[in-house]
Amino acid sequence: MGDFKILAVDDSPTMRRIIINTLKRAGYQDVVEAQDGKDALAKLKVDKFNFVITDWNMPEMDGLTFVTTLRSMDEFKNLPVLMVTTRSVKEDIMEAMKAGVNNYIVKPFTPETLKAKIEQIMAS
Amino acid sequence: MSNTNTLQNKIQKEITELTRSINTIIDNFKQLKNPLQESKEKVPVATNQLDKISEQTEAATNHMLDLIEKMSIREDEVISGLRELRKLFPENNEKMTRLLDIIIDKVNLNANDAFTLMNALQFQDITSQQMNHAAALLEEIEVKLIKIQEVFGTATESDLAGAVSHQKKGRVYDPHADLYEKKTEQKDVDSLFNKVKTDS
Repeated sequence: MGDFKILAVDDSPTMRRIIINTLKRAGYQDVVEAQDGKDALAKLKVDKFNFVITDWNMPEMDGLTFVTTLRSMDEFKNLPVLMVTTRSVKEDIMEAMKAGVNNYIVKPFTPETLKAKIEQIMAS
Repeated sequence: MSNTNTLQNKIQKEITELTRSINTIIDNFKQLKNPLQESKEKVPVATNQLDKISEQTEAATNHMLDLIEKMSIREDEVISGLRELRKLFPENNEKMTRLLDIIIDKVNLNANDAFTLMNALQFQDITSQQMNHAAALLEEIEVKLIKIQEVFGTATESDLAGAVSHQKKGRVYDPHADLYEKKTEQKDVDSLFNKVKTDS
């Protein structure tokens, strides 16, 4: 899976490490981390990414605002985004869909689910 | 005349009763002052304690992650070493190759267990959000207690400002975060996405 670069956005350092380790074990070696939406936007402006995994509850800029901002920018309109969050209320999930996420995982997640969702999004 | 007197007496009696009741209420309120102050002082202690638990759990979790990552690297090295060793034995040395295969399998099992262990550490993010939620509720209670004290005249606006300034900034949490009881299970999230995809 060379040349496939993933941006993992989560304010929890523990979660970032778990996500990165899970991705590496699934074969995705090129993973960059960001601590919130603002940090992620800054990284997206200087580097090219093929996929974004983002949390929802984060300081500075939360995941929903981050996705909405991404979708309002021409260059990131079609960038695949997977939301991985503890938020499991149906209304929240609907809101994330409206904001433009390609798929949604509820924490705690299994490595199999994370891998499957990435493959599913990339195949569609 | 006697009717007026009776009425006057009745009113006087009522007023005396009312004054007594008001005095009792004031006394009761006065007795509340100290417990109120004590409770107000305990709230920041409890909030700090919750934040401390969160920080220490995160530090411990990260330490565990350090060890798991090191273990995984070592296990990968052991597996590749054993595979190299296996190549050194001719295929007809069945006993030795079988033994090496068993050892490789065992190390692989350990590597898988370490990975499962690492994944279980997601609990830290969830419990940390739950503790942030509890701390935020305590901070709200502290503000309310100070507002009640203001009514009694035992706290001022600057006390309120002081309490607000001590509150931790940027608390972010999902009020429904739960390790075991998700409001919507992953399979239902998937059906929701599939439904929207089909509809659009």
